[in-house]
Amino acid sequence: MNCDELREQYELYVLGVLDEPERAEIDEHLRRQGDPCIAGVRRAREVMGSLALAAPESHPSARLRKRITGLVGEEQRGWNWAAIWIAATACLALVAVWLGMERRDQARTLTQVQLEMQGKSAELLRLNEAFALMNDPTARQLVFGEGAPKPSRGRVFVSPGQGVLLVASNLPPAPPGKIYEMWVIPKGGKPVPAGLFQSAPDGTAMYLRKGAVDVATTGMIAVTLEPEAGSPQPTTTPIIVAAL
Amino acid sequence: MTFLPLLFAVYVEGDDRDLASRLKRHEPEALAELYDRYGRLAYSLIYRVVHDVGVAEDLVQETFLRVWNRSQGFDVERGALGPWLLAVARNRAIDYLRSACGRMSRSSLELAETEHPAAFANFETEVLSQDQARRVRTALDRLNENQRHVIELAYFEGLSQTEMAERMGQPLGTVKTWVRTALKNLREDLGQKAATA
Repeated sequence: MNCDELREQYELYVLGVLDEPERAEIDEHLRRQGDPCIAGVRRAREVMGSLALAAPESHPSARLRKRITGLVGEEQRGWNWAAIWIAATACLALVAVWLGMERRDQARTLTQVQLEMQGKSAELLRLNEAFALMNDPTARQLVFGEGAPKPSRGRVFVSPGQGVLLVASNLPPAPPGKIYEMWVIPKGGKPVPAGLFQSAPDGTAMYLRKGAVDVATTGMIAVTLEPEAGSPQPTTTPIIVAAL
Repeated sequence: MTFLPLLFAVYVEGDDRDLASRLKRHEPEALAELYDRYGRLAYSLIYRVVHDVGVAEDLVQETFLRVWNRSQGFDVERGALGPWLLAVARNRAIDYLRSACGRMSRSSLELAETEHPAAFANFETEVLSQDQARRVRTALDRLNENQRHVIELAYFEGLSQTEMAERMGQPLGTVKTWVRTALKNLREDLGQKAATA
């Protein structure tokens, strides 16, 4: 067969449906003739290739893509990266939230502890000062309210070098808007304000007025109930009077 | 059999040459992109041949794996990636059909020869464009019923002219005439128009 006769068979040849002996003849012809006939086969392949477009449209399942890409690891790798990214982001977010909460709790606890420590330190300092004053050999101890549960009773320590310490019981907390005020009253003179204080809910009180005291000229120590801002002179009858 | 020419919107995004290069380098993402580009078309073609969803999906998988494994022989600069892949897809489907129908007298080796990647070089036209899809529909519509039938039997069922004659109960000479006329018309409508496209 010559080129023209074989040319009409090229389409069936490229589709793989050509009967023998034509198929073998074309094989042999292509080997013998070379490029001119090869170009004809290529054109036949172009024409026949486009017949795929005549197939009715069908849709494969979504899992087919995963099956195919999974064959070469692309799907798994993509899934792993995504999963790692999501997991890492989620973990970081959780850690950040946890750390934030933990830090806030720790800060709150630390503040509370610091406040408690400050309170304890102040209380300890006050007690130390009170004990130091009570142990002062030069201090004079005054008793007030003895033998009577009401009004309050207790002791006053007057130290020339350290000040005046009041230790009282049965002294109810001052009512709202009021406060207790201590007075140092010189012999034959006017009362001198010596500080404001409040008693504890259980009726106990310990108040230290630091500073030098002239015991020789002091006639008595007194406590009155005054407005919460304090007064320059007593405005009420003294609740506590301790004479030197 | 009724032809329902399909106007596939084969939207070729990017460059097939770049995709083919990455396939040759066996970049896994390239296979995913190849599937996104031609997977639906390959599946439609195979399903048209085998009429079974499960079998069609298995054959599509086999098609892409074969292209992946044989991409080293593909000519990146001159090759036509889509037509090659569809030739592989058709051959897988026809091979299955022949096996299922006991028509093993025609060997799969014969089909394999038609899908060698080197054979899909120097195509003059974009054979899978939308314009070409329209031309295919028009060209097939212009064939008479017998001519369309023999083309379908050849392309979608892989029958030789002798097998067509047996299937249709027609003399071999008559079938050869239908085939020759149909191919001549298709060659004129698709080949020449494609060549000038």
